[in-house]
Amino acid sequence: MTVLARIVGGAVTPACEAGVFARGEGIGAAVRFEGIVRRMEGEREIVALDYQTYDPMAERRLKELAGEIAARHGLRGIAAIHGRGRVAVGEVSFVLWVAAAHRAEALAAVEEFIDRLKRDVPIWKIPVWK
Amino acid sequence: MTIDVLIFGPAASAAGSDRLRVRFADGESPSAGEVLAALAREHPDVGFALGGARLAVNQAFAAAETRIVAGDEVALIALVGGG
Repeated sequence: MTVLARIVGGAVTPACEAGVFARGEGIGAAVRFEGIVRRMEGEREIVALDYQTYDPMAERRLKELAGEIAARHGLRGIAAIHGRGRVAVGEVSFVLWVAAAHRAEALAAVEEFIDRLKRDVPIWKIPVWK
Repeated sequence: MTIDVLIFGPAASAAGSDRLRVRFADGESPSAGEVLAALAREHPDVGFALGGARLAVNQAFAAAETRIVAGDEVALIALVGGG
């Protein structure tokens, strides 16, 4: 089982994901989720979100969470990459990849990971209003 | 004893600072719960962020009864919202 978690400067780009999505014979389902900065924050328009992280706790908690979720759902692999600093509207702020033997545990793991990310990992987003 | 609590995100925006100071009697070693209560009492401008908030002590979540001593790094982990 591979567990990877990292925080990168700015948006999460394809280059950040290079080599992350390993495949193996035991994998029957792989899910890639991406969080994208949307234009409207409630009724107001933004140009970006500024992601603030408490370092190095944020990356360590991200990795601990990935390990806990992988163990709980019997995953074959998990990778979480989160941006830090300014991420513009339309850019990717977060990527989660999970691999499992079957789709049920892969989908459940994605849902639980994101719920807990928003509770247990010290990352804040601050709107940059238009 | 004074403790500077690191703050982030909306709490930092509201306070206009990246830390808040709370004071205790000399020789006192307050618990994390007591520090949260002191934040609410002494800094009502960040009261909106304290519901469900936790403290991190030396970069790890601390239970309410965890004692804080001089030199500890204390941070308010409130209203997080990654993703």
